Amino acid sequence: MKTKQFLIIVTFVALLAGCATVAPNELINARSAYQRASEGPAEQLVPAELHKAKEALVLAEQSFLKEPDSYKTKDLAYVAQRKSELAETLAAMAADKAIKDKADADFQKQQAEIMKQRKQDLIDSEKRTAVALAELAKIAAVKEEERGLVVTLSGSVLFRSAKSTLLPSAQVKLDQVAKALLAVSARNLIVEGHTDSRGSESYNQGLSQRRADAVRDYLVQRGYPADRIQTRGMSEGSPIADNASPEGRANNRRVEIVIERMQPSNP
Amino acid sequence: MRHVSNIGIMVLAAAVVATAMVAGCANAPLRTEASTSGIRAAEELGAAKIPQASLHLQLAKEELELAKGLAAKGEKEKAASMLLRAEADAELAVTLSRGDAEKSEAQAAVERVRQLRQDNP
Repeated sequence: MKTKQFLIIVTFVALLAGCATVAPNELINARSAYQRASEGPAEQLVPAELHKAKEALVLAEQSFLKEPDSYKTKDLAYVAQRKSELAETLAAMAADKAIKDKADADFQKQQAEIMKQRKQDLIDSEKRTAVALAELAKIAAVKEEERGLVVTLSGSVLFRSAKSTLLPSAQVKLDQVAKALLAVSARNLIVEGHTDSRGSESYNQGLSQRRADAVRDYLVQRGYPADRIQTRGMSEGSPIADNASPEGRANNRRVEIVIERMQPSNP
Repeated sequence: MRHVSNIGIMVLAAAVVATAMVAGCANAPLRTEASTSGIRAAEELGAAKIPQASLHLQLAKEELELAKGLAAKGEKEKAASMLLRAEADAELAVTLSRGDAEKSEAQAAVERVRQLRQDNP
């Protein structure tokens, strides 16, 4: 009887000892790897992969119950740990892909907005140019030519006879011209002074140059960029009327402001 | 007698076939394709240059060699079990390599947006 009781106790203790068998490191690592993976974004982002990791862990646990110390249990546990790590990696990839997709979408949207704004800016600029040119046409003769838009100002309005100092009344007119030119997107200007045929060529050359310079200086004073205005003394060489009549000579005594056409290379 | 003899022959034949099958299974080559191709894929993805990926690539290679060694010693089941480790590490090495590329692409995309906003305030 005593032996039988002893055997029962021994068997019971042996069973308990079996239940208390320490899990191999591989299984401990596999359990904590799965716990970490299941608490992270894998559940949301890659549930199928997380499920595979769980199944692998279950296999390892089952093997542990049957053969606690076997190589099979350890190998299955090792694989289960890797499956959990795989799920975490795939979740991180899915998150990165979402970030990339959003950034790409933001980029497209931003680009579209920029293009839209640029188009609008161009439309607004063209409107301003049209308005400015219409204003210009009210105060001076404006003509479209091959060389650009030509604004013609009468010499007698701008200067006293044979002088190159601007009349006070001329400044008022030139203020209006400057205002219109500044409203237009930056263009290159050529200011040309012209005379009639009376007087010597060299005298007329000098006078026409000085008058062109005077107009230029005034426009620069009014804010037009100096590096965008050139001057030319054209002397009597480009008449627009017959020098034989007083009216013709008056018309030839003029200053022309040529607004050059926008070139593709113009900034 | 003849009846007993016929049954005896059939039993003997079955035993021979069974033995042959077991012998055949015992001599079956180790199926290393999955781990070998996984290792190759990881190498092609540049795993050796990515810290975490290169660790698992190395582990996969070592485990594959261990499996081959076990198979050569006739320990087929242990070899097959070790191969599972090699496959798992190779798969992880491949995924970590891809993950690294994905992260770089995400960072580049975010930077592109930031640069565009900076250039067009």
